[in-house]
Amino acid sequence: MRLVEDFVANAEAVGCHVHRGAAPQIEGAGVSTALYGLADTGSVVLAAGPEEPRANSLLPEVHVTLLREDRILPGLDELFAAVGNDLPSALAIVTGPSRSADIEQKLAVGVHGPREVHVVLLADG
Amino acid sequence: MAELAQPPPRFREIARGKLGDARVQVALDEATDRLRTNRERAWAELPDIQELRQRAHEIRMAVIDDLDVHVARFTAALESRGGRVFLAQTAEEASAYVADVCRRRGAKLAAKSKSMVSEEIGLNAALEAVGVKPVETDLGEYILQLAGEHPVHIVAPAIEKTAGQVAELLSAAGGKRVPPELEALTNAARTQLRETFLKAEVGITGANFAVSETGSICLVTNEGNARLVSSLPPVHVAIMGMERLVPTVADLSVLLRLLARSGTGQRLTVYTTLLTGPRRLGERDGPEEQHVVILDNGRTNLLRGRYREMLACIRCGACLNVCPVYRKTGGAAYSDVYSGPMGAVLLPLLVGLQEAPSLPHASSLCGACTDACPVKIPLHELLLDLRRDLVAEGVAPWWERAGFWLWSWAWSRPAGYRLTTRLARLGQPLAGLLGPGRAWARGRALPRFGRRYRDRR
Repeated sequence: MRLVEDFVANAEAVGCHVHRGAAPQIEGAGVSTALYGLADTGSVVLAAGPEEPRANSLLPEVHVTLLREDRILPGLDELFAAVGNDLPSALAIVTGPSRSADIEQKLAVGVHGPREVHVVLLADG
Repeated sequence: MAELAQPPPRFREIARGKLGDARVQVALDEATDRLRTNRERAWAELPDIQELRQRAHEIRMAVIDDLDVHVARFTAALESRGGRVFLAQTAEEASAYVADVCRRRGAKLAAKSKSMVSEEIGLNAALEAVGVKPVETDLGEYILQLAGEHPVHIVAPAIEKTAGQVAELLSAAGGKRVPPELEALTNAARTQLRETFLKAEVGITGANFAVSETGSICLVTNEGNARLVSSLPPVHVAIMGMERLVPTVADLSVLLRLLARSGTGQRLTVYTTLLTGPRRLGERDGPEEQHVVILDNGRTNLLRGRYREMLACIRCGACLNVCPVYRKTGGAAYSDVYSGPMGAVLLPLLVGLQEAPSLPHASSLCGACTDACPVKIPLHELLLDLRRDLVAEGVAPWWERAGFWLWSWAWSRPAGYRLTTRLARLGQPLAGLLGPGRAWARGRALPRFGRRYRDRR
């Protein structure tokens, strides 16, 4: 359970909203299913595929991603060990909402990508 | 058009202007302090940071040792995934290839995400020349493109611009008044650029890394523009220096753990994307065509010499933030593309010492850059070696060589040493008035010798 707790703490630290069980109903949100989660960075890993278009996590203002708790890995090393050389056409490691500090070094959220990222944790199985 | 060559007066003139600009000095101080503190905090979080730096150094050098093998392996892997690879010897070849891809697709609009290599090859001018409008989509780069300027920092390209200046640029670009407030500015840029993402026929990105075993390119951004640019347009072109390669995804993991921490202090940037070929069967979006341009542009000349370690650079910008010279002059003095210690080493190597003779001197040799480098490039030692080459190749002026010969002669004998200290004390009142002392005293006070200087001999 350590991994799940770390994931939640780190995902919230980078500005994600974490939910357990039920997905929030937000109009116009893009919904994706995460391939993995990374505990030590609070990231969700998205693999492009026929059921997972890239645009879902990119164009809408709000991105909701579903993550099974047993898909949470410790970090990058474990991720790359798990995917090996069988990479999808696009593998995106998403760590929080889109941000920029290009204007006077001040943090702005939602520059080009989603302003809000909601991670919905699903119990194992 | 970006300019890599550095005529000698450039550094002095631009640096003098920046030193006299109080606002720029505050902006530079604040930005470099913040980025430096962030990096130090992020490094401190890793118990094995020194070991990690060493591993990263070894991974980068192993690639440089066998670069041709890695280029071939990457090419084969990407082609098996349906991507196309073009090896460009020169900036012109690289630009011409990208322009040709645009022409074949009848493209009028190209969306770009931040790429230092595209600045290096002057890609925007080459595209404009064939009727393609390149639009920068990284917020900082977009601001600079509207202003007709070039990046002054690798990871924070527009640090010298104020919110007021940005508001004027965005108001003019959108034809609508935008107040100088962060949220309004960000929203205006988001709206203005969204159309570019949706309409562009070609998307152009750089590549932070490329994995030779899998044929993947890795893009690291915070805004999400690189993901948009590489996902929405029907054609994606990535341009990278040939030294960006790493052998495996496991090696990539080591470098990714260092890149964001060293650049901005984040554990990972918001978007770290690995792209392996174009859209696959059944996928609803993603580019139909993917091209990767691998650029040489002088890099192979560095492969076997003593400057080969410079090719290990991962462009994190950490050396800029700690450099006492960069922190005062800003990036423009160095070049339109690369700056700070990494720029001062790399530029003379790419364009020749004759073309950039002042850059090896843009350092106090304090070694802060070397300590900050996540891949352990001995930057200040390379700068010293470049100064040696300036003399050996006869680029340094005769009086500089004569002066150092005389100094070395005097200081290798006690009588000579005593003579110089006596002369120094006598000449002290004049030192700030003539010659190099005068240039040095402009903007700072000359140190005074203590009375008891002779006793300390």
